Amino acid sequence: MKIDPSFIWTAFVQLLSAIPTTLMITAVSVSVGFVIGVITALFRLYRVPVLGPISTAYITFIRGTPMLTHLLLIYFGLPVIIDGLSGWFGWGFKSASIPMIAFAYISFSITAGAYMSEVVRSGLLAVNRGQLEAAYSIGMTTFQALRRIVFPQALAFSLPNLSNSAIGMLHGSTLAFTVSVVDINAKAQIVASTNWKFFEAYLAAAVIFWGLTVLIERLTARLEKRIQLYNRGGVA
Amino acid sequence: MFVGAPFDFSFVISAFSKLWATLGVTLLIVGGSLLTGMIVGFLIAFPRLYRIPVLEQFSKVYVSFFRGTPILIQLFLFYYGLPELLKLVHLDISRAPVLFFVILTYGLHTGAFMSEMIRASVTAVDRGQVEAAYAIGMKGHQAFTRIVLPQALAVAVPVFSNMVIALLKDTSLAFTLGVMELTGKAQTLGALTQHFIEAYLALAFIYLVVSFTLEKLLRAAERRLLKHEQPDGTARRRFRIERKPSLRGMFAGIGAEKGGAKL
Repeated sequence: MKIDPSFIWTAFVQLLSAIPTTLMITAVSVSVGFVIGVITALFRLYRVPVLGPISTAYITFIRGTPMLTHLLLIYFGLPVIIDGLSGWFGWGFKSASIPMIAFAYISFSITAGAYMSEVVRSGLLAVNRGQLEAAYSIGMTTFQALRRIVFPQALAFSLPNLSNSAIGMLHGSTLAFTVSVVDINAKAQIVASTNWKFFEAYLAAAVIFWGLTVLIERLTARLEKRIQLYNRGGVA
Repeated sequence: MFVGAPFDFSFVISAFSKLWATLGVTLLIVGGSLLTGMIVGFLIAFPRLYRIPVLEQFSKVYVSFFRGTPILIQLFLFYYGLPELLKLVHLDISRAPVLFFVILTYGLHTGAFMSEMIRASVTAVDRGQVEAAYAIGMKGHQAFTRIVLPQALAVAVPVFSNMVIALLKDTSLAFTLGVMELTGKAQTLGALTQHFIEAYLALAFIYLVVSFTLEKLLRAAERRLLKHEQPDGTARRRFRIERKPSLRGMFAGIGAEKGGAKL
C-alpha cells in the first residue's frame, strides 16, 4: 500500500456531496440549541423556581458527559419511550418510522443547548445593569427591554463564543456516523474502505473540515465588525 | 430499528461496576495525552512567544490544523496515515499498539490547545512585573520562576481545567479504533446483554462523576493559585454593573477553549 496523492483529489470530489448533510446537522443543532440556550439561561438568571434548578441540572449533566453518550442514549432510549407512549395512547406511530438523521438532530440540539446556555448567560451578564434600568425608566416592559436593549448587546458580546460553539458542533457532527447518517466523516469511511485508501480519504475530509472552520471564523469576524459598529467610541 | 431487552434498573448498577474497571484505560489516555500535550504545547508556543521566523509560521499552521479539524478525523488520519508516512523513511510502526496512536493523536490535539493556553497566559502577565523584578535586582530566571510563572499559572489553570474535561469527553471516541475504554466497554456490554440503555446510562454517570471530581480538584488548585487576587465581595446581581478585571475574566477573553482555527 503506497500513498497515492492523486486519490486525495478524487476523494475530495466525492466527499463534496456529503457537505450539505454535515452543514444541515450543524445548522439545526446550533439554531435549536440557541433557542434552548436562551430559554434555560433566562430560567437560571431569573431564578425561576422549579425550572431554574432543572436547567442547571440539565447543563451540568450535558457538559459533564461526552456528546457521544447523548447520541447513544437518545438513539436507544427515545424509541423505547416513543413506542411505550404510542402503545399506551394507541397512536398508530412507530419509532421505526423516524429517520436516522432525526436522532442526530435531536441529540446534537440537546448537546448544543447546554453549551449555548452558558454562552448566552455570560453574554447577558456582560451587559451593564444600568442599560436595563435605563430601559425600565423610560417605561419599557421587561420583554421590551430584553428584546430591544439587552439581547442586541449580549449578542455582540457573545459572538466569538457562539462561533466557537458552532465550530464545536461542526466537529461534533462527525459522530453522526454512529447512527449511520452519511456525513463527511461517514462518506470518508465509505470512500476509504471501498478503495482501500484510508489516509488519502481522511486527509481530504480533514481539508474540508479545516476549510469550513476557517470559513465560519472569517464570517464571524466580519459579522462582529458590523455588529460592534455602535460600540466604536469617539465623538463622530 | 433495533430495540433491545426491556429496561432493567438493576443492570445499570452491574454495568456501572463493570465499567468502573475500565476507567483506568480512559484515565491513562487522558494522562498520557496531557503529558504529550504539555511538551508539544511548549514546543509550539515558544516560536510564537519569541517570534522565531520560520518556526512561528509552522506553529500557526499546526495550531490552526488541530483546532480546525474534528478529533475523530485526526484519529483516523494518524492511525492510518502515520505508518504509511513512516514507511517512506523505512520505519515500521504498523505493529505498535492502538493505544499508542490514540495517545499520540490526543497528545498532538491537546498540544495545539495547550500552546494557545501557554501563549495567552504568558502574555497576560503585565510587562511591568518583569521590569519591577529586574529593578529590585532579580536575575532573568529568578524573575521568570518567582514572578511571571506563578501569575501565568493562575491565568492558565481555569483554561487547563476546561481542557482536561474536554479531553476526558473526547476520549470517548477512542472506541472507533477498537480501544476498550469506557465507551468501548459500554458498547460491548450493551451488545452482549442487549441492555443498551442501561449500559449507556451507567456510562454517562461515570463520565459525570469523573468530570465533576476533576473539576472540583482543579477548582481547588485554582483557588490556591489565585490567593493573591482580592475577592470582589459585592453581592451577585442579575445583570452585573462593572466588574473588576479579574483573572477569571481575563480567561474569558483568551478564548483558548475548544473550536476555532484562527488562521
